[in-house]
Amino acid sequence: MKWAKEIGPVVGAITLALGVGAIVTALTGYSVPQVFKYLALGAFGDWYQVAQTLTQATPILFTSLSFLVAFRAGLFNIGAEGQLYLGAFFAAWAGFSFKLPPVIHPVVCLLFGAAAGAVWGFIPGWLRAKRGANEFVTTMMLSYVAIKLTSWLVSPGGPYHGAHWANQTVRILTSAQFPRFMRGAQLSWGIIVAVLIAGIIWYLLFRTPRGYELRAVGQNPLAAEYGGINVTKNLILALTLAGALAGLGGAAEILGTHRRFIELFSPGYGWDGIAGGLIARAHPLGAILAAVLMGALRAGGQAIDRAGVAPADLAAVIQGLVILFVVAPELIRYFQRVVRRKKLGDIES
Amino acid sequence: MEILSLNLFIAALRLATPIALVALGETYSERAGVINVGVEGMALAGALTTAVVAYFTGSPTLALIAAIGVGAFLGALHAVWSVYLRADHVVSGAAINLLALGFALFLTRVIWGWRGASPSAPTMDAWILVGVGLFLIGISQIYIFRTPWGLRLRVVGEHPRAADTAGINVHRTRLAYTVLNGALCGLAGAFLFNNLGRFTEGMVGGRGFIGIAAMVVGNYRPLPALLAAYLFGFVDALQMRLQDYIPSQFSLMLPYILTVIVLAGFLGRAKVPKALGKPYIKEQG
Repeated sequence: MKWAKEIGPVVGAITLALGVGAIVTALTGYSVPQVFKYLALGAFGDWYQVAQTLTQATPILFTSLSFLVAFRAGLFNIGAEGQLYLGAFFAAWAGFSFKLPPVIHPVVCLLFGAAAGAVWGFIPGWLRAKRGANEFVTTMMLSYVAIKLTSWLVSPGGPYHGAHWANQTVRILTSAQFPRFMRGAQLSWGIIVAVLIAGIIWYLLFRTPRGYELRAVGQNPLAAEYGGINVTKNLILALTLAGALAGLGGAAEILGTHRRFIELFSPGYGWDGIAGGLIARAHPLGAILAAVLMGALRAGGQAIDRAGVAPADLAAVIQGLVILFVVAPELIRYFQRVVRRKKLGDIES
Repeated sequence: MEILSLNLFIAALRLATPIALVALGETYSERAGVINVGVEGMALAGALTTAVVAYFTGSPTLALIAAIGVGAFLGALHAVWSVYLRADHVVSGAAINLLALGFALFLTRVIWGWRGASPSAPTMDAWILVGVGLFLIGISQIYIFRTPWGLRLRVVGEHPRAADTAGINVHRTRLAYTVLNGALCGLAGAFLFNNLGRFTEGMVGGRGFIGIAAMVVGNYRPLPALLAAYLFGFVDALQMRLQDYIPSQFSLMLPYILTVIVLAGFLGRAKVPKALGKPYIKEQG
């Protein structure tokens, strides 16, 4: 029952968004049935497409967790994109610089990625807790800095320019790579790691005193302080953890999908994390479903483009609409009230 | 040094304009109690609208009006979401940013077949918009602090209950100033287009967020916010000249790093409107 209450408005919002998306599709002159057909086929049409969806869902699950951990502590981590880039670069660096046995090597790479992201979360966390600097703006600003920094590292003038024809590093060693499930598909062990981490975050948030403190700070910092919780420490911890999660996402993307760091490789996974975290209502297990939805929209979007039905970015519009409707639960409740009143009216008349 | 020429100070004024316009808009809406972080997306929508209308009608004036209209529409959307539907202000603004970016990528593909970019289109002299911006900032300083309407605006953000008792419609006031914020963001977007002559998805590039920072540094007052925006514009102009000396990636970081440093130094001291971000629920009589 509790589940239904949480999921009901989300399903309503998604339906509403798809409806408005259909109107946008029709207004811009594309065929609505064709678009939805290829969107569905591209996302779940066969095993290869399901693998594509899950490949895209992997980094999005990490960035969604990143967003929601900060959100639970009452903070906004808008800079997951930059944390993801830093994590990706340092994971790649550990991947081609160290010679380690398999299993240990990817774990070390993940740790490097998490640490790099954590540093990029710690800075705005510290600035917020100690100096009162609005983390919404600072995480965003630092995100730009991180993207430029990693771009420079692999540019012709930078120290890790690995190929003369593209701004990227050399390949990471085979020992560092995540195994893949299918031939020809990029889906890797990254998805398993992501789901495991989602479980760990759920446990941390809802089954440990630390998680209780984080959530208490998010719900009412003054009451938390009064109750003896160190608010400063928890704010810093929340953004550091958020940064680490986004950094892990970048690392997993390198170890599983690209196997080298490429300049500007992310199509906006950091932004998808905001969407994913909000759609999941900031619940770590809900984030798994939300990430699959975001991944499906991306994979489906590519399919409508490939089929020549409509531009892939139509999926980005639908994603924007989903979030817009998800964040206004009152809107869905309003519709429910209207429907209920109509039914009551029917009975009375 | 050659870098520090008069041209630099003039270029800084130009580059400060979109930041100052966003800061002005945000000053209005936050004074009324509405946080709007959707300014980035509203400016992007304004820039895209200018490009589309200027491209098809050939009239930069019409394009400017349309951009202000689209900005106002998004402002209204944010107001309905945050004021009437009581969505979290920051979340609603973030949603508008994502939606605007999605539409920008999609519509550029639909209209021109290029992802996130437009061909060049007729422009007006961007200096006209600089003048308009300075004028609006000047009269806003007087409006907010020296007129009865400005007083009403400030009361709504500081103590909505008192405003309500005095017969001021809190919700409608918040709606009006959030729409105004959106319109000013649309104007900022129109400036960005006229400054460059074409649309690219990255053309706002954080200037919306920097505008919020300028407002904070200016302590919710239009003229000091203009000075802060000028500082950001100056660094932006400076970094373009520094690209001859250091890798462009590093010079491009400067405005963002400056924003972080400035926020870390100032925010604790800003006087935030007391009812900022809180929904106002009228008591049932």
